[in-house]
Amino acid sequence: MEFVPIANAAINGAVVGLLLALPALAVTLVFGIARFPNAATGDYMTFGAYTAVAAQAALSAPLIVSAAAASLATALLALFFYGWVFRALASRSPVASLIVSIGIAFVVRSSITFFAGQSQYNIDAPLVRAWNFNGIRVLPTDLYIAGAALTALAAVFAMLHFTALGRRMRAVADNPELARASGISARRVMITLFTIVGLFCGLGGFLLGMKAVVIPELGWELLLPIFASVILGGIGSPLGAVCGMILFGISQEVASLYVGSSYKIVLAFLVILCVLLVRPQGMFGTIRAVR
Amino acid sequence: MEFYLVAISISILIYMLMASGLALQYGFTGLINFGYVGFFAIGAYTSALLSLKGVPLPLCLIAATVLPALAAYPLGKVTLRLGGDYLAIITLGFSESVRMVLQKEEWLTRGVHGIPGLPRLFTDWAGTGSGDLTLLALLLAVNVGVFAMMRYLIHSPFGRIIASIRDNEVAVRALGKDPTSFKTRSLMLGSALAGLAGAFQAHYVTFISPEQFVPLITFYVWIAIILGGAGRISGIIVGTVILLTFLEGSRFMRDFVGGVSEVQLASVRFWIIGMALILTVLYRPQGLFADKTTGAR
Repeated sequence: MEFVPIANAAINGAVVGLLLALPALAVTLVFGIARFPNAATGDYMTFGAYTAVAAQAALSAPLIVSAAAASLATALLALFFYGWVFRALASRSPVASLIVSIGIAFVVRSSITFFAGQSQYNIDAPLVRAWNFNGIRVLPTDLYIAGAALTALAAVFAMLHFTALGRRMRAVADNPELARASGISARRVMITLFTIVGLFCGLGGFLLGMKAVVIPELGWELLLPIFASVILGGIGSPLGAVCGMILFGISQEVASLYVGSSYKIVLAFLVILCVLLVRPQGMFGTIRAVR
Repeated sequence: MEFYLVAISISILIYMLMASGLALQYGFTGLINFGYVGFFAIGAYTSALLSLKGVPLPLCLIAATVLPALAAYPLGKVTLRLGGDYLAIITLGFSESVRMVLQKEEWLTRGVHGIPGLPRLFTDWAGTGSGDLTLLALLLAVNVGVFAMMRYLIHSPFGRIIASIRDNEVAVRALGKDPTSFKTRSLMLGSALAGLAGAFQAHYVTFISPEQFVPLITFYVWIAIILGGAGRISGIIVGTVILLTFLEGSRFMRDFVGGVSEVQLASVRFWIIGMALILTVLYRPQGLFADKTTGAR
């Protein structure tokens, strides 16, 4: 195959990967700090996308306001489920939180379909022409999406590494007992964690809604690619999640030139299988043999 | 009415067979299989495709039991030496991949159109209705057999080891047993039961299509064993009956509540399953009717 279509697919994949790095970071942070794979992540994104659609339809809000509404509403949703469910389950086996996160995913998605039905929606963005460099096309919208995702990622990395709160979060991720013994309040860490999860999933859902049609299965179908990337990057490693997701996004788009786009989930599955077989700790993670 | 009772009993028994397999995996071994429907699908399609090629039905059922177990083997081999969460993710990926393949490989499965006209297990030999009563009797026998096998397993050395893996894997390792091999066997056995249930379903409904194998089915089975109390055989029976009562009941709900569309009804059903998962794990982890001492995790 020629170079130009591959380059275009790679650029598109990089944008998708950067955008999905937001929920991937949310998954890996929850895994590292709260210690369970949060299967509700995808449906939190869907919730964000529908909030943005609703904000545009009801208030004819400009894009930036819809983005803020999506992030804030999803943050509230994530905090609500933390306060009601995950906080109570913190002392139990991670299995309990994992099963419950599936329940939350179902509740969120079915609430959406109850009110919005199964029809497709769009987030209205101004139409712009792609820049064309000898056949390699770059959409300005894609640059905005990538820019927004990068800014959000940079903010969280700065918070994790340069603030006291971030240091506490990393301490809890590293060794929860030691962190508690040193007087770190788990509740504040958890509240921060789930605020970030909600903000990121909401923003991710909004950005995704600008690139794709908004349907009830929007986020759920991305759950496996996200998990695959998190495992690829090394579960619990923030940097790994971002790198893994971008790598996965590019390979997914390039691969779909050859095998058709419907095999994305199969690809995700194969990636997980291969990584676990060859290098279960991923690119940047440490091995977790028994929970 | 009689016809309806037979139909619902058959559905209950097919779900009960599935619930037994998952109970073996989760309730007795502690394995989190979020892709259980994938093994059910493999069983259904294996038996369906073989039967249309003219293979005798008993052989089809055997193939439908063996193949899912073989499919489970590599998954177990790769993931079960790692933490339990990996199995959850990989099985979910597995079942969704199976569904995608069933949808896309039309040369084999006719894709989304599904495969109609599957042979029934028992033909109408008495001239009264169909062979459903015979099927009911067979399913009853199979379920009783499976319960007997599980009872035997639980009290065998194998059963004691999988139970201790569930409760404290590190201790099992310290005793010099390799948990991975036991977990893999439990995964394969449970998947075999799912496959057998799939074959029964295919030949009972006589039509299969990929959309019968969505992840929701996996969680129907999950909610059945969690409601009944995972880790007890009586829990399997109780949970399945509750689940089927709910599924059947919600079909009639539309006749009583006006102004609800089909999509909304499906949403409500979906919502209730999700909410039931949350509430049971949160407030009744040992199951609805169990005492606090058994099966709590």
